[in-house]
Order: sequence, then structure tokens, then C-alpha cells
Amino acid sequence: MDVNLTINKKQITLNLKGNETLLEVLRDHLSLTGTKTACQESECGTCTVIIDGNATLSCITLAANVQGTEITSIEGLAQGDVLHPVQQAFIDYGSVQCGFCIPGMIMSSVALLEKNPEPTQKEVEYALDGNICRCAGYPKIFEAVHAAGKKMKK
Amino acid sequence: MALTKKSKFVDEYVDPVGKSVPRIEGRGIVTGQLKYVFDVQMSNMLVGKMLRSPHAHARIISIDTSKAEALPGVKAIITAQDTHQIKFGSNEYFFPHTVDQMAIEADKVRYIGDELAAVAAIDEETADEALRLIDVKYEILPGVFEIEEAIKPGAPAIHEALNNIALILPVNFGNPERLMKEADSVRESRFWCPVAHPSPMEPHVCVGQWETFTNKITLWSSSQAPFKCRESLAKTLKMDLNDVRVIKMAVGGGFGGKLEMLPMDFAACLLSKRAGGLPVKICLTREEEFTTTRRKHGMIYKVKTGVKKDGTLLAITGEVLADGGAYCSYGPTVLAAAMMRIFMVYKIQHFRMSGYRIYTNNPISGAMRGFGGVQSGFAIESHMDLVAKDIGMDPIDFRLKNITTPNMVTVNKMILTTNGLKECIEKARAACGWDEKRGKQQHLKRGIGIGIAADVMGSKMYKSHESAGAIVKVEEDGSVYLFTGAADTGQGSNTALSQIAAQALGVSYSRIKCKAGDTEITPFDTGSFASRVTFISGNAALLGGQDAKLQILEIVAKDNNISIDELDIRAEKVIFKKDNRVLMSFDKALELCYSFKYGKQIIGRGSYNPKTTPIDFRSGEGNVSGSYGFEAQIAEVEVDTDTGVVTVLELWDAHDIGKAINPQSVQGQIEGSLAMGIGYTFYEDLRFKNGRVLNANFAGYRVPRSIGMPKMNGILVETDELEGPFGAKGMGEAALLPTAAAVANAVEDAIGVRIMDLPITPEKIIKALKERA
Repeated sequence: MDVNLTINKKQITLNLKGNETLLEVLRDHLSLTGTKTACQESECGTCTVIIDGNATLSCITLAANVQGTEITSIEGLAQGDVLHPVQQAFIDYGSVQCGFCIPGMIMSSVALLEKNPEPTQKEVEYALDGNICRCAGYPKIFEAVHAAGKKMKK
Repeated sequence: MALTKKSKFVDEYVDPVGKSVPRIEGRGIVTGQLKYVFDVQMSNMLVGKMLRSPHAHARIISIDTSKAEALPGVKAIITAQDTHQIKFGSNEYFFPHTVDQMAIEADKVRYIGDELAAVAAIDEETADEALRLIDVKYEILPGVFEIEEAIKPGAPAIHEALNNIALILPVNFGNPERLMKEADSVRESRFWCPVAHPSPMEPHVCVGQWETFTNKITLWSSSQAPFKCRESLAKTLKMDLNDVRVIKMAVGGGFGGKLEMLPMDFAACLLSKRAGGLPVKICLTREEEFTTTRRKHGMIYKVKTGVKKDGTLLAITGEVLADGGAYCSYGPTVLAAAMMRIFMVYKIQHFRMSGYRIYTNNPISGAMRGFGGVQSGFAIESHMDLVAKDIGMDPIDFRLKNITTPNMVTVNKMILTTNGLKECIEKARAACGWDEKRGKQQHLKRGIGIGIAADVMGSKMYKSHESAGAIVKVEEDGSVYLFTGAADTGQGSNTALSQIAAQALGVSYSRIKCKAGDTEITPFDTGSFASRVTFISGNAALLGGQDAKLQILEIVAKDNNISIDELDIRAEKVIFKKDNRVLMSFDKALELCYSFKYGKQIIGRGSYNPKTTPIDFRSGEGNVSGSYGFEAQIAEVEVDTDTGVVTVLELWDAHDIGKAINPQSVQGQIEGSLAMGIGYTFYEDLRFKNGRVLNANFAGYRVPRSIGMPKMNGILVETDELEGPFGAKGMGEAALLPTAAAVANAVEDAIGVRIMDLPITPEKIIKALKERA
């Protein structure tokens, strides 16, 4: 079947069987390997992308079901060489260690801040609770999210 | 013509040591461009899968692969018959008899998940179907799953070892029995330290490719120790070391779990050979990750102490029973570390402890961050609080009376030079407000508790040496390539080593590009374990940078007809040492090196092997590390006595790190360790029934998440280690060691109950409260 997707503002038509997840389409069909997965069963948040403004797990989203939506993956955040404020903040605040969870973590953070650039600490914790980071223990991730929110508000 | 990029590198990252420079791969990470083995895609790449035993203990009667081979799309199948059936292990240098695992088992399976065949097919569905079509006939054997059952005479024999004891490790010094008699107070405790799992976010993944025309193999591996992986591959495949190339890409976390070759690595290479050289990718599922990779040893830790009324610690005895699971892995050295770390922390002359590493039909125990120290940290530091209470002493005062000091030799001949333990304790005590809080917040059900720890900076594991090398190649465009064998698994070693090399060379960090962990092109390095990389690989990077600098200064000196001894390079400039007068810029000096007249390539090299002495494992004697790190940790908790829920309000970790090469990275290591410590304290507990893992997913095995993380305070104590690069020590693991004890001690301070077996759950708190009432 033909599946029409809008990914990172580009229209793409793919010939799919129909049972492919969005994660498989991004990684295996489009080589957009920035989106990772650590469990493939919706428990780790590593595969998070933004669909119509909402942080969404691509490992349990059928690609064919998200036709007609705006899909953003980690590759769609930066404007050329200029990083998104959340990306920049994750570097500046030393929030990254192994980095494997970071694309998903950034997507969850962007989805939060787009709606609420000045979240409380509790709101940040709840927005990121689905994203496991095994390395950094979260404080530097929280700092980056708060700082990026302030930049985005300006 | 030399390219000139004058002043481009004169930036904020000149003199980078001690500065929080950004991670060298930061942009790659945040844009999703950094490539992990997980991301490798190649044309005609096959999907590999392992056939695993569904039984905990069984003899293999026959394996019939004919149906699977006939399945269209299946490109290769291997069983033990296709291999040399050579065993591999991780403690071959010290404990050769513990090398006990085959990549593909031939006669017996010893745990649920043991590998008996592997397939490569054109896609995942075909590979899965092929696994289903392999017909294995088993003779099911009785299994044994509890350590105290396994050592009973008549228990099912898992290997040849008598009573399933793979290793007995006695550590004896002085005459503890006599000293116990002289003690004013004697206490005995028994602790249970549960099984945690490293669970890195990137599961174990590899791509193997056999180059059929040269008979060489390349393995792209998510490895913490690529050179160790190469050694095991060469051994089991019967190949020359340099016919095996292991390439480490970005690694999505390791935490000890990725220190060894696994059967999947071996299988990917051999399957590729069978498939005519097509690349084979094997990626474990999360369930396989939890059930078939290395886990932390579950330990029963018994300890007994005798003390004088004034708090002097006279003697310690004890016994450690470690659930090793089906194979030895790093178990022997983990066990040794679990018993001998105490010598770095407490001055003790009379000591007797016996360790037993016991086979069971559970999954394989091996290395995990903390390496035996998390278990001993919980047991010893909980016990020390009980002892202090017995004699009515403040737990901090008790510790201050008994801790090791700078410039001392321990009873087992460890040479402690710089030792900031006292300073760590005092700084943590002051920062948390100990004296105002301890024992004074019970009305709020709040308490405060301490745990202290120490760690090595490297330790010999699988080789007679543990050297690291570095090459610092200065290109004519002014960029500097650091080649290191060290494996950055996320801790930031590429960044820290680049800072060290830049500082040693006298240039900005912005010049450095880092290539790490490729066994064919980078120098040897034993790997990322034992908190060794900053200290050992860092010293190699330091020497490499200094060597490159001397090569440049040689040309400059010659050209200016002055002695090289008069010159130095600092902050991007060639200067006269005596008055810091600038002779020329670094770029100018490079132009000279790469000029018509000289045409000299600058290739600095460094090799470092720490000054240690061999460990005698029969006595426990030996200076295992070139330097030692120390820390004190304090936890403040609040307990809800209705629900049993313990909330950690705040953690303080004062850490002797020698010198912080990158303070932000150091804080990140402390915070990550504390989070893992919180996980181990409260919920990380891999559970088993008859050898089957009951919670092999992130829903069942909880790891720390963003909600409920306490406030964390990392306090850096710089003791300027003489042997360390710019004074630095390693610090990747120590902050995890005393967390559970600090929390348990705080819980007792808050509500007067003592938890002796982890994790601390609401049920245990409620039960303990009821028992006390």
C-alpha cells in the first residue's frame, strides 16, 4: 500500500506492507537513525518523536496510521547549522553522556516546552518520566530543559 | 605550503584542563548524527539470531538443523560442531581454571538462555522462523538455583567443580580471633545484596564481517573493551590477533555489561564466514539483554567486628557467598574486590574473610559498575553504623577514628599516597548540616546517614599488564588527532583525554579530534573498567602530547639556534621558560615543522602502565592500583510510616578526584552514579524462579526515572595526585558504592529500624516497624 507521510516538513510516499511501525520506517526505510529504541515495547521513551506537537512513541505507532500528520524526528530540529535551543542546552549543561536516550529525551522536552516554555520542576519530571536515561541521573537534563524554555520564550 | 589558520584556535578552550569544555561528540549526539553499532546499515546485511536453551540445566542429545537450512532466506547456521569448542573467560591471567564458557555450548546447557546455535537470514522474520525449525533433543537435568543449596553435597553438578564452588578466596591477615577476645564489643551481621542489571540503553549489538579473500574479520561492537574482545575472538576462532579487527563505535552505555566478548560476537563473525562474507548484524532484544548478558552478583555478605569502647576497630572477619550463575565471567575478581576494598577505607590489621563464588543454574553474573563494591559497600557501611551505635558513638566520629590516611601502606600492601577521605567526610558533614540533624529529626520521621568508600584506578584483570597507549598526530592544518585505545562508553573519556592531550601539547582543546577504540589503528588499551581511563589512558595521552610538543620544539630550537631546554609551548604559544616571553605562535611553529626546510611530521606517542605490584590472591596482598580515590556520601531521608515509602530528600557526595579534568563531566559521573545507587537501594532487583528471570523488561525491572530524583550535591575534593595526569584520579564508580548504606543508615536514624536486605521496599519498612512494635 502507498503511505503518505510528512516527516520533518518533507512529503514522502512509501510503498509499505502496512504493519510497519513509524520507528521501522524512520530507521530502516528512510535511514533516519537518529531515532533510537532500547526496548521496542513502549517502556523506555528512546524512540520518541513529535507528531502534531505531541511526544509520541514511534515503536508502537503504525506508520500507516499517522498519514496526514506532521511528524518531526530529531533530524528535523536544527535549522541548518543552528541547533534548536533544547539541543544547544543539552550540550551547554553537560546533559549528555552516552547519548543513546538523548534524541528521545530532546523530543519529549521540545514537545513540553512548545506548549509550556516555563514548566515547573514537577512538570518537567512528569513530561520526561517516560524517557529513561541510564547514565546521567537527570539533574543536568532538568537544568537544560529549564534553560532552553527560557530561550524559547524570548 | 603550510595552511595557516592563525588565531582560530586561540579561544576559551586554551588551557582546557580544569574547564568544563563541551563534549567532543556533543553535536553528534543532540542531532542524532552520531553513529552507534545499533545504527549500522550495510547492503546485503544479514540478521543474526541466537538459539537459546529453554531449560536451566540439560544435556544436549542432538541438534537437527536440516529443516531450518532448507528455509528460503536462511544463509548460515552454526552449532558447536562448526566451532573449535574453545572456552573463553575473563580472569584467565589470575584464575585460568575459571575460563569455562563456550561461545556455542556443545554438550550441556547451564541456564535459560545458554547459546546452542546461531542463524543468519535475510530478515528478522526468517531468522526467527529458522530458530523455531531447529530441532534440539534435551535430557533435562535437575537444576539448582539458590547458593546455599548449590554448595550442599549431592546438589546437581553444573561444572566439574566440587560442590559447585568455582572459587574459594581466603583473605587472612593477623590474628582476628585473638583480637575479638580483646574487644569490648563484638557484632555480627548478615546482609543480602540483590542482583542488579547494567541495562545500558543501547542493547548489546554487533556486526561481524569475514573478509573471505584475506581471511580477516572485522567486528563492529558496542564494547567497553575492544582489545579484550579481540583477544577472546582470536582465541575462540583460532586466529592471529591481528587478523581480528574490533571497531568500537559510539557506545550507548556499558556499566560493566559490555566488558566481554559474548557468544553473539563470535557467532556474527562465524556466520559471516559461512554466508560467504556478507555482514551479519546481531542485536539483542531487551529481554535477551536482561536474561543472557552479565548481571551483578547476588551476595550473602556476613561480617563480624570487634571494637574497643573508644571506637578502635580491632578485627574483622566474614564470609561472602556469591551467586555466580552458570559461568565464571569476571566473577573471581569481583569476589576479590568485594572482600578487599575495605583495606582502602579502614585501617585494619587483623582480618579474615572467605569468599565463595558458587555456580547455579541462574544467568551469568559478571562485572557491573562498582565491581563487588556496591555489595560490600552496603554490607560494610551498614554494619559500621551498627557498631558505632553499640558503643554509643557518632557514626562519623567512629569512621574518622578508623579510616586510612595519606601516605600509608595497608595490611595487604596497598600503597595509599594522596588520600582525601578525611577531607571528604568533613566536607560532606559540614555541607549537609550533620551535627544539627543527626538524631534530631525523628519527630519529623527524618534521618541522615553516611557511607564512605574508596576505589582503585585500574586493576589487572585479564593480562599481565594494563597499559594504555596514545598517539598525538599534529597535522599541517593545525588540527591534532588523538588516537586512544580507550573506550568512551558515554562517560566522556574522549573529551577528558582530548583535554589532557591538548594541555600537554600546549594548545586549545578546539584543535583536537579523537579516534578511539579501533584495534587496528589505535594503540592498545585494556578497556573501560575499574575507573581506570582518566588515570591510565589519561597518562598515556599526557605522554603523547608531551612527546609531540618536544618534536615541535626541537625544530623551533634548531631553527632559532637556541637550546630546546629553554622553550615550552603554553596556551598556543612557543615561549621562553625563564620569562614567558613569546617566541612565536603555535601555528607559526607548525609552519616551520611542515616547511620546505624541515618537512617533519609531528607524531607524539605515549605509553603508560601503572606502578603496581602483582596481587597474590592466596593472601590478598598486592598494590593493585597506581592510585586510589575516596569519597564520603550522606543521605537525608523522610519516611512515611503509614505507607512505608522512603523519600530521599538530598544526597551529598564529597569525592577525592585528585583534580577535575572536566568539572561538569565529573559532576555528571557523580549524579549518574548516585541515581544508579538510588536504583539499587530501592528497586533494582532482577528476580528469578527456577532460573527464569521474572522481570526481564523495563516495566518489571525498574530503573531510576525522572520523577523522584533527590537533590544531588557533588563536592569535589582535589588532592592533586602526583602520579595522575595533571593530578587527576578516576571516579566513574565510587559514588555508587555507599549509597544504599547511607540511605539505610538514614532510615534507622529516622525511624529506628534497620534494613539488612536490599532493596528497601515499603513492605520491608512496614514489616520492620511492626516487628519493633
